[in-house]
Amino acid sequence: MPTRVAVDPRCAGPLAGYSRPGRKRGGPFLVLAPAAWVLFTLASSARADDASQWVARVAQAARQLNYVGTIVYQQGARVETSRLTHLSDNGREYEKLVNLDGPAREVVRALGEVRIYYPDAKIVRVEPRTFRNAFPSLSAEQQKSLTQYYNFRLVAGERVGGHAADIAVFEPKDGLRYGHRFWADTETSLLLKARVINERGEVVEQFAFTDLTVNAKVDPPMVEPTWAAVPPDWTVKEASAGDVAPNDTGWAVTRIPPGFTKIMEGFRQLRGRRDPVAHLVFSDGLVAISVFVEPYTTAPAPTGMKHQGGLNVYSVRQDDFLVTVLGEAPGATVRLIGNSVSHR
Amino acid sequence: MNENISRLMDGEVDANEVDAVCTALKRQDAMAIWTCYHVIGDAMRGTGAPRAGFAESFAERFAAEPTVLAPSRQHSSRIATWSWAIAATLAAVTVVGWTASSLLGDTPAAVAKAGEATAVNAARVRASTIPADYLMAHQEYSPAAAIQGVGPYLRAVATQGDRP
Repeated sequence: MPTRVAVDPRCAGPLAGYSRPGRKRGGPFLVLAPAAWVLFTLASSARADDASQWVARVAQAARQLNYVGTIVYQQGARVETSRLTHLSDNGREYEKLVNLDGPAREVVRALGEVRIYYPDAKIVRVEPRTFRNAFPSLSAEQQKSLTQYYNFRLVAGERVGGHAADIAVFEPKDGLRYGHRFWADTETSLLLKARVINERGEVVEQFAFTDLTVNAKVDPPMVEPTWAAVPPDWTVKEASAGDVAPNDTGWAVTRIPPGFTKIMEGFRQLRGRRDPVAHLVFSDGLVAISVFVEPYTTAPAPTGMKHQGGLNVYSVRQDDFLVTVLGEAPGATVRLIGNSVSHR
Repeated sequence: MNENISRLMDGEVDANEVDAVCTALKRQDAMAIWTCYHVIGDAMRGTGAPRAGFAESFAERFAAEPTVLAPSRQHSSRIATWSWAIAATLAAVTVVGWTASSLLGDTPAAVAKAGEATAVNAARVRASTIPADYLMAHQEYSPAAAIQGVGPYLRAVATQGDRP
């Protein structure tokens, strides 16, 4: 136990474990420093390429392949099983996810729209989602922060769901982000398993295929919703356009953790809100943190921290506004950001 | 400093500042402010301040307590101090974690999660529903979500986070 406590990155501040060559002072070192620096820079940019290429390759495989499999999703002590079918038809993606435990749920993604069916509640949520920000489109800055703020390494050889897998490890160099492990099929690069690890090395959330057929024969009916037409007594909850026109919202985050850069800023319309909500997104190349700012309504909104698996949410009232920060990052990080949102 | 003390009491100090604020607290005047703020807080909540002279009479009675003599440990006191400090820290985390989880009435995982949250503010963490609108709006920008394909929707339909 003592060693674990001693290495807890939280205790050592944001730049813990962050070492750079070139700090020592000494005769020969001064001469060698420039050479060492060049080597270091080369090595680190090579790693950055590796990491971002790996990420791009895996994201691409998830979009372009046809596959059918069973996914086990674990979040704390909860375990849920779902059946996933994915079809890529001339670059158009269709996907169907049906959960096998608990109340029936069905997620169907087709042509830039996601529908979530809740048969017990007789509700369909329609979300215009395109993953238009999907890979491979990491900015140079994000690519750099991938290896500047995470130790990236590839480990060969493990089996997941009957497939040989390579493991990509992203270990955070500070306490401001979670660790991530991804198992990808050695042959097709399809993601087989993913795990989010907190600062104490505990698994916060993970999912894995227990069986999977890649390059499966997938016919269009297999990815169609169970309900071809929405039954008349169901409620359709339709979200307004998912597009956000890039815009200056007038809001800024004054204490953004190192490595996070703003990738989007604009106003979006959220269901049930009269006024548009300001939405800012920051990313370190691996995860994203969203900041939402909206007028504080008279109905008291729940403030404070919430979490679900690897997601943390922090809401705080700021005068006449409600600030909500949501991201795949530790509670402290999300909170740090939430408390530093201010008018520009 | 006064503001930091106030923030510390409210649990508003970030994890990376806690050490600095606690160190500053060791100063006599800072301690006085800490005490003063607590008395103000007690008075405002109507949870009666201790009677006048409490600290003095406590100190007197404490000094009068017999000293317990115990054989000293064999190994270095420095190590002992360290391990005690660590044990105390862990115990504190566990206790707060359990308190938070008994409020939540939740699983061991929630305890672990609550333990993590003690660095922030245990009492405020609730394992609960993430507003679906925010979640949906957020996840299309997340690189991790892109790697996982439909993975993020598992979160959306995981019954715990279920709210159509």
